[in-house]
Amino acid sequence: MARYILSRFGQALFVLWAAFSVSFVLLQSLPGDAVLIKFQNPDYGLSPEQLADIRAAYGADGSFLHQYAHAVWNFLTGDFGYSLQAGVPVSSLLATNLPPSLLLAASGFVVATLLAVLIAIACNLSGLAWLRGLIQSIPSLFISVPTFWLGIMLIQIFSFRLRLVPVINPGPWEGLFLPILTVAVPISAPLAQILLKNIDEVLTKPFVPVARAKGLSHAKVLWRHVAKNTLLPVLTVAGLLFGELIASAVITETVFGLNGIGGLTKQAVDSQDVAVLQAIVVIAATAFVVINLVVDLLYPVLDPRLKTKLGAA
Amino acid sequence: MGIKAKLNAATLLTAWLLAVPVAFADDQPVKGGTLIYLEQQAHTNLYPPAGGFYPNGGILNQITDKLTYQNPQTLQIEPWVAESWTVNDNATEYTFKIRKGVTFSDGSPLDANAVAKNYDTFGLGNKELKQPVSEVINNYDHSEVVDPYTVKFYFKKPSPGFLQGTSVIGSGLVSLKTLALPFDQLGDATKIIGSGPFVVESETLGKQLALMARTDYNWGPSKLEHQGRAYLDGIKYIITGEDSVRIGALLSGQADFIRQLQAYDEKQVADQSFAIYAAPTRGVNDSVAFRPDNPLVADIKVRQALLHATNNKEIVDTLFSANYPQAKSVISSAAAGYADLSSNLSYDPAVAEKLLDEADWKKGADGIRQKDGKPLSLAVYESLPQPQNKAVLQLVAQQWAKIGVKLQVLAGTSGNVVTDNVDPAKTPLVVAEVGRADPDVVKSQFYPKNRDALLQKGGLNPKAIFFDDKLNGILETVASETDRSKRLAAAKAAQEYLLDQAYVIPFFEEPQVFAGAPYVKGVAFEAVGRPSFYSTWLAEH
Repeated sequence: MARYILSRFGQALFVLWAAFSVSFVLLQSLPGDAVLIKFQNPDYGLSPEQLADIRAAYGADGSFLHQYAHAVWNFLTGDFGYSLQAGVPVSSLLATNLPPSLLLAASGFVVATLLAVLIAIACNLSGLAWLRGLIQSIPSLFISVPTFWLGIMLIQIFSFRLRLVPVINPGPWEGLFLPILTVAVPISAPLAQILLKNIDEVLTKPFVPVARAKGLSHAKVLWRHVAKNTLLPVLTVAGLLFGELIASAVITETVFGLNGIGGLTKQAVDSQDVAVLQAIVVIAATAFVVINLVVDLLYPVLDPRLKTKLGAA
Repeated sequence: MGIKAKLNAATLLTAWLLAVPVAFADDQPVKGGTLIYLEQQAHTNLYPPAGGFYPNGGILNQITDKLTYQNPQTLQIEPWVAESWTVNDNATEYTFKIRKGVTFSDGSPLDANAVAKNYDTFGLGNKELKQPVSEVINNYDHSEVVDPYTVKFYFKKPSPGFLQGTSVIGSGLVSLKTLALPFDQLGDATKIIGSGPFVVESETLGKQLALMARTDYNWGPSKLEHQGRAYLDGIKYIITGEDSVRIGALLSGQADFIRQLQAYDEKQVADQSFAIYAAPTRGVNDSVAFRPDNPLVADIKVRQALLHATNNKEIVDTLFSANYPQAKSVISSAAAGYADLSSNLSYDPAVAEKLLDEADWKKGADGIRQKDGKPLSLAVYESLPQPQNKAVLQLVAQQWAKIGVKLQVLAGTSGNVVTDNVDPAKTPLVVAEVGRADPDVVKSQFYPKNRDALLQKGGLNPKAIFFDDKLNGILETVASETDRSKRLAAAKAAQEYLLDQAYVIPFFEEPQVFAGAPYVKGVAFEAVGRPSFYSTWLAEH
């Protein structure tokens, strides 16, 4: 087990380094650079000589290897540098944008899971059997609702028309209610679909009629036997979705005017703000690696059969 | 478009359900209250010469004062931090008497020494701190502190535009502490220490900015009716990127004032008796400029043909409102030095077709004109800060298609746009627009050492071979002629020449459009459309 964790850790470090280097190469090969984009801006009206001076001051003319070594060294020493576009340290940009993103993603994820489970339960309640076809189509409906439209509709209805929650100057939780719902709806769809499919599949397994024959009710079979067996694939997808969730929150952030990593990334890509992008890439890679590590380590806990296989590896 | 229509319908429905708050027409200003201001984009760097970016200007205009005040009605320069000034005959020496008792919000005095340090930085830049030179200050040499309240500036060559340059947002005075910070760090608004009626209280980066009034403020422009502290207690800027959310929040009473109201949303705001403020930016109009280095547009007949194939009236009527006047010249009709040249800008497709025929561009089988096997196909990048720019360019593309010219409207990342825009082979056209209420503005836009919209030799494009000595000579006269009537004549000559050569196709006079709740009173705008909340107050509501 220790060897397994150690090798996974080594893999994680490699992924981080690779993500950093690949993103660095890609950013450097784009036409233009952050200094050019910022200062060639007509707002400054700088002459080419003045522009050249500024480029020299920022070291934007150094060799590729030199700039790479510089960036790696800064990261290893915990210095994320300055955002050229925003004119503030990258660390303060992260401090203001990371926590709200994590909060939105985590709460959105919890709500999405609840929604998915609710759909799965509703679909398997014998009393609602006549509605089964309709409930089964909810996930496809949810996934095809554009996030942008959903966010705006929620604001128009709940904030501007019913005046239940303000979008401007809301309280800390008041302001999260609608964004969480916006994020959760599209994410709940694939979760619900996998849950439904797995429940159907597990229900065809031979142990189900056995359990029924022993006198267990349908609900108890679902709860005790089927639920546990459907969790593994759902967990795998969930790990992947969580990463996607943070990345795709950009629309929700824009509509609700929230701070977050999504919007920060969009701005940084647009202005080729290398320092900011490098920090985001490393953070995103770290989050992805950690979540997948956690998921992998949870497998043996959920399924004892996997424990022996891992031990042997 | 479907979504947009639904959204508009929803907002209209919302609007209809609201009772319109009726302001009591009491003209007596009320003290107190916080103005909730919704901004479309977060500010970037707040080094004052970077104040041209609309969101930056909206903040800097409240927290910094300027040496002089340009009256937005008369465009005259009036006293502010400077009580009086003298200029020598050839405009190479300017002496300012500084008002006593003015302080920055950190308590340090705004005296001759502070003014001298500000202008040395703006006029010369600071390599060590990476602070760039200000666009509005030409030919700066050095400053001299004559006595604690007298400062003198020396110029290498005549600089008649300098006095007006002391009144713009880019010349906001900041404390020595702020000037000592590297350029990198000036995006943090709390570090911008000015002497203005408001002070930055707190900031959540990219999301919110809170200003509070300085209760000891007593040095507003001396000719203003309002003196003393600002009426408001504070201003809260909240970044709300989505157009429909800003409007919905304003109409539902969650906000008091919003920036960037699109023309197609004006009606629903006006229908509820909310105020629309369309502040003119008074400079080079919203236009496209040609890069004559590109062989397709090197021929003056081609450029003239495209100028006459452009139907400005249709652009304004289809996409905009009465707040966007059709262009009558290269610069706005509200700008200093404006000359009405609307007769040169006539829409006449028959003339356009004739000119292209004369230039040997013949219609091919696909309807696109060709010469030596090459199609007359041009490309232009949309410009994000200009209102509905993509739609404008697409409409122009339709108009040009009628005479057999193809215009591709490109969107790209900033990196692509910046590098391609200095390459005439890729983009033979560029969107041009700049605001400044001084004749210098026309030089700023077209002179090779400034914004260089035509990409002349000696400018941004190292490979350029095109240059127009006659034009550059006129532009130099605009920036250095000390006789006012001769200077205005040069400004007129520049506009005539730019249109005679068909270097530019002006579309409309670009305003910056805001909307405010009916109870928001006394909103003012400086000469190029940045709001000032010094005299603003909130009536009972």
